[in-house]
Amino acid sequence: MEGLRQDDPARIGEYVTLARLDPSAEAHLVPERRYLARTADGARTVLVSLPPRGADPARWAAEAQWAGRLTQPGFWPVTQLGGSAAFPWHASPYRPVLPLTAALAAHGGPLPERTVRLVGAALAEALASAHVLGVAHGGICPAAVLLTAYGPLLGCFGAARALAPDGTRRAGVPGLDAGCLAPEAAAGHPVSPAGDVHALGAVLAYLATGHTVPERDEIPPALRGPIAACLSRDPAGRPAPAQVLAELAPGAAYGTHTAGTEPLPLPGRVVAALSDQSVRVLTLELPAEVR
Amino acid sequence: MLSPLLHDDPETVGRYRLLARIGSGGMGTVHLARTPGGRTVAVKVLHPRLAGDPEARTRFRLEADAARVIGGRYGAGVHDADPAAPLPWLATEYVTGPSLDEAVEAGGPLPEPAVRAIGAALAEGLGQLHRSEVVHRDLKPSNVMVTAFGPRIIDFGVARAVGDAPLTRAGSALGTPAFMSPEQAADLEHGPAGDVFALAGVLVFAASGHGPFGSGSAADLLYRVRYADPDLGGVPPALVPVLARCLDKDPARRPATGELAAALTDGTGAHGPAALLADVLPDAVLREIARRGDDVWREPPHRLPPPPPDTPPATGPAAPAVSRRKLFAMTAGAVAAGAGLAGGGVWAWLAGRDSGTGGTARGRTTAQTVKPPARLWTFAVHIPNARAEVLAAGSGVAIPAGIVLCGVNAESGEGSWQADLADGWRYAADGKKLYALRDPEEGDTLAVCEIDMTDGQPGKPLAEVPDLAGDEPRNQLLCVVKDIAYLAARAASGGSWYLLALGLGDGRVRWRTALDAARQQNEPPLLCAAVTGGRLLRFRSDSGLSSFLEVTAHDLADGTQKWSRSEPYDGPPPTRIVHDDRHFYLGADALTAVRLADGETAWRFGDLRDVGDSAGETRLYGAPEVRDGAVYCTEGDRGVVSVDALTGTLNWLEKGLKNRHLNRDEAPAVGEKYVYSLDEQGLRAVDLRTRTAVWTLPTDATVLSADTERGRLYVRQEKETFALPLD
Repeated sequence: MEGLRQDDPARIGEYVTLARLDPSAEAHLVPERRYLARTADGARTVLVSLPPRGADPARWAAEAQWAGRLTQPGFWPVTQLGGSAAFPWHASPYRPVLPLTAALAAHGGPLPERTVRLVGAALAEALASAHVLGVAHGGICPAAVLLTAYGPLLGCFGAARALAPDGTRRAGVPGLDAGCLAPEAAAGHPVSPAGDVHALGAVLAYLATGHTVPERDEIPPALRGPIAACLSRDPAGRPAPAQVLAELAPGAAYGTHTAGTEPLPLPGRVVAALSDQSVRVLTLELPAEVR
Repeated sequence: MLSPLLHDDPETVGRYRLLARIGSGGMGTVHLARTPGGRTVAVKVLHPRLAGDPEARTRFRLEADAARVIGGRYGAGVHDADPAAPLPWLATEYVTGPSLDEAVEAGGPLPEPAVRAIGAALAEGLGQLHRSEVVHRDLKPSNVMVTAFGPRIIDFGVARAVGDAPLTRAGSALGTPAFMSPEQAADLEHGPAGDVFALAGVLVFAASGHGPFGSGSAADLLYRVRYADPDLGGVPPALVPVLARCLDKDPARRPATGELAAALTDGTGAHGPAALLADVLPDAVLREIARRGDDVWREPPHRLPPPPPDTPPATGPAAPAVSRRKLFAMTAGAVAAGAGLAGGGVWAWLAGRDSGTGGTARGRTTAQTVKPPARLWTFAVHIPNARAEVLAAGSGVAIPAGIVLCGVNAESGEGSWQADLADGWRYAADGKKLYALRDPEEGDTLAVCEIDMTDGQPGKPLAEVPDLAGDEPRNQLLCVVKDIAYLAARAASGGSWYLLALGLGDGRVRWRTALDAARQQNEPPLLCAAVTGGRLLRFRSDSGLSSFLEVTAHDLADGTQKWSRSEPYDGPPPTRIVHDDRHFYLGADALTAVRLADGETAWRFGDLRDVGDSAGETRLYGAPEVRDGAVYCTEGDRGVVSVDALTGTLNWLEKGLKNRHLNRDEAPAVGEKYVYSLDEQGLRAVDLRTRTAVWTLPTDATVLSADTERGRLYVRQEKETFALPLD
């Protein structure tokens, strides 16, 4: 969470912006511009997303439309679509969230293996239930995963398509984390379930080492197998999300990780960062001039 | 944690809009509230009955002063206060907690480093208070909030300035005996050293899970606080000497707060300025902190409606006051089929086909493009509203009517018989036939008979089990599937209960398995049961927890128990298990699907959904129905949702419904074209294609029974049951 800058919008639809979710220094790694915002009567606080600068707003809006129709377990729910073709946005009720980048920053480095497994299992399960329905996420990267007290949620649905249409090279496009793009997706192939699995591997690597493209030796030995399999260059060589789930959480019943009914055990500093954000947003006031 | 506002709580206090209640104490009520700028705060408001009491007003002002003195680092930062307002109030930061007693409850005694860190911070906070000449006087685990960044002291309701004369009623009764100082227990001056004593008690509790003087009656505690040695069992040895000094009966021998803080930090080295309490808290407490920080962002609960008028209009004798036992005794002596039903206290009778009364239309019928269909028939039964289902059995329909069961011709709606079957748990239908347990008068052993749908008479027993008691009124016929009856019954000798599968064709017991004894004297052991997916599934009210359902699955082949789980439940307990061959479904705070195979949650729907406004209701999802791979139920007051039965994803939400209060107790009925649902205006038909309501039939119905075989919807309202086509 960071203060607003001069070039940030003061209002988005019926909302008054209060703060940025992501630090400006990391903007090139985040596929959306995300703001904490509140209605002018102070009653509702939301997390609003805008397309990143330079992106085609219409394509971004089309992905937002899809995201608004999905109610996939483990996906960040998009509850309101707004704006115009030139200035689209979507919003969801606020709850304390840490993009994984912020979670690692709060913890002071890679997360313990136990946490990597819990977060990874929830993400794998979310992908498994989406892929069954033929839905590929197409936008997974550390900044797209929003960690809540009750587990991670996948935001930035369809980011790869939104920021670079199929058929164009995606490597180097601002907002897309190069380390999370599968080779075929970087080359411009349509987003696919296998591409999601590659990105899942990159996110797991990030959680365990702090990099999306890790050295093999950095990864805790027990996680090397599943991460390396996900990061396979050959899409056909990557495991299905259900297999990743089975390796991360052996023996656990399917459907229990994305349920989000009980808080996840998270490291103390991560809980502290979530709790600090909650308190800060609770105490934020709308700027005096809008009241 | 948060509870709804009451109907007479004010809308606003000062410039704060109230959202929910956090708690209420002797002095005032604490509300969650918001400023016009959207800042969330806790607002404590003096009880209106104390507003005219100068002493209470003085104490409230002292509390506000004390809260300001301790400030936001060790307490809850004061945002604003008006102790001079007609109703004095104090607005502070909302500290989500958990409180120390909730933290210990969640994760057991805290590890030594956490106790030291909490103790040192509390000592520093008290020191700050004492330097401003204020004593807290009521430090206890529930007044200490645990945050990731350190403990916070809240609630200064009995604080007062050092040396101030005690306020008239501010004697020992105001403190909490378990954590009181000996001088407070003796009604002597409780100064800063008294707070140190209380702090040590709080730390003993944090480290061991029990207070230094145990628990018990106030009198016992007061005695032990004054004269007994503290119990430091379970306290880490390194902490015992310093806590024992703090718990000295002589205030002069206790350490001061600064010394105590130093003693607690010594030896660990971990408690530096950079260290966070979160670093030393156990997982369970961290999870409680995270839970509360997230939950505070959910929609606040809705304000409760005013209580209903004192005496609801009576309709006939007050039925709920008549115990089931009494009714049973009455029917046991009554004769079947109509004879002798005129006696006092009997309030069910046949009225045959009713065409003239038509007394159901209340309110104005609005112009609708599609009109509600005409009734196929109406059957009048003058009984109080009951939640018993209408049972379809072959050519007839059985309608429970208080102390009898009425047989009605399914085509004409004409009443054809009534049978002496009072207790709904003693009969069951499988769609074609109606079965009942044999009347206790007719034989000593348990037997299942078929009830003839033309005259209501029981036939010869289809199956009999000699060693099970026939005269036990709580014996239960759970269901009949494929000619096998599933029963709960008591042994003829001894008090053991069994769950059994009894073949009705051959009279052979397929299996039986022990069942915990029936708990209630006049209730059957189980709520309901169903056979599906190779399982016999049964519901029971959980022992002592009325808001929980115990769900147990048995293998259909041999009766072995496969799994059991508890489900939180709001509202009346279900009378029917809603299932397909993969899951069963429950609606409460979310719509839940549980796998029949292993009893694990298959999916939950609704956890992250904004269900909109639903005045005064805590239940978000109503009772569900499942048909053709979709689960239907009400969502808040927004309308019916259709959810994919396999995955729990939303198919659709009813469109365009406004200002209705939806019935959450009765599941919708699903036809080919419409889903039917009850609300306070009547019966609503929602088109499955357009997802909008096409008509509303005014009725105060309480039961909907869909008869898919015959294409009928049976609707039961106050004094009649009628049939509509199930489209």
